[in-house]
Amino acid sequence: MDNSIAGLVLQCAGIISEAALIVYLARRGLWKRQGAVAFYLGCLLLTELARAGVLYANGLNSPQYFYVYWSTDFLLVISAFLAVCFFFRRACLREERMWRYVRLLLPLTLILVVAISSILFLHNYHKLFFSYFVVEFNQNLYFTCLVLNTLLYLLLQYIESTDDQLGLLVCGLGIQFAGPAATFALVHLTPGEAFARSLSSTVMRLCTLGALFVWAYAVMHVQDKAIRVAGHDVPVLAEVAGHI
Amino acid sequence: MIFAALILILSTALFFFYFQVTCQRILRRQFDREYFQSIVNANRLEFPSLRKSLEEFGAPIDYPRLRMMLKCDFLALTYLLKNAANLNQRYSREERLLILYFRWQFLSLAVRRLLGVGEKKAILKLTSILQYFANVVGQRVDTVKFGNLTVSDYLLNL
Repeated sequence: MDNSIAGLVLQCAGIISEAALIVYLARRGLWKRQGAVAFYLGCLLLTELARAGVLYANGLNSPQYFYVYWSTDFLLVISAFLAVCFFFRRACLREERMWRYVRLLLPLTLILVVAISSILFLHNYHKLFFSYFVVEFNQNLYFTCLVLNTLLYLLLQYIESTDDQLGLLVCGLGIQFAGPAATFALVHLTPGEAFARSLSSTVMRLCTLGALFVWAYAVMHVQDKAIRVAGHDVPVLAEVAGHI
Repeated sequence: MIFAALILILSTALFFFYFQVTCQRILRRQFDREYFQSIVNANRLEFPSLRKSLEEFGAPIDYPRLRMMLKCDFLALTYLLKNAANLNQRYSREERLLILYFRWQFLSLAVRRLLGVGEKKAILKLTSILQYFANVVGQRVDTVKFGNLTVSDYLLNL
């Protein structure tokens, strides 16, 4: 949440890259096939724009910015979780037996994260819902997404997937999750927190840019080898959300 | 406290893991033919012979000379990537990522040498990055038509 020039440049670069990739997907008619990518990019763009707008209108230390920041962060982690679910579905297109286990595992994981965050909140019930539960939930789900993404990567190796594009999309998502998860932990471990918070903000933006570059490469240069099973197309996001 | 430290270590390790896997996946790109050979010959690059000597003969490593060879080839190829048959005169995103990966592996080679483990693996990774760069340059030069000029003629006239 820093206001430095470097932070501003990174934020602008992020917004431009997200918008450019969305425009590319729209112009190529890839909305349906790259549903998860488009959905997550849309959420990222909305988040960045909402934060920038409120920051400009109300200032960094305003309560409005605080609420918008953490609400959009909540939206982001939920969309990241849905994107991971979609990638799991795409990986398991030919592995229906595997998908049966995975579709059980994914909602259970979400319930577990909600339960753990709620228990931690109940132990600290005197604190505000927003300043404790949402922050705790976001951080827990972020790390869970990183673990799920790594499991997905291992699954791709196990089933010897030939879908190179999915492999790169998973790697991009891994970069997007791993950097911020590490800096969240650093903020917890550092007593002064000021340096860690500034580092956290920069690392998050750099990781988002890195992930966007990897996704852009995957979408533009790597052939989509997602398998079509018995006339079915790659599932759209709503279909996956409906399954879980 | 312990949990946070564990997350920090695990996430940092995963970040570098995903970075490496991404670069390896980009390097796996198939070219329709071996474009790198003409670039290697025209510029007298040394990485193919270095890789051959390591893979086939298991020759002992002369570290200072090896470092110099890799660095010279890297500088020549990055210059060509930017300037040879490149209308934009700038690196693409994946080239930037691979340049970063090369520097990271170069640093890793120095650390591995200090520890005395896995030097050969790092050198082979470095040569595979250089081969990718040479393939990209070769492909670009190949697509540009210069009348009767050959690839080496074009490069010598740069």
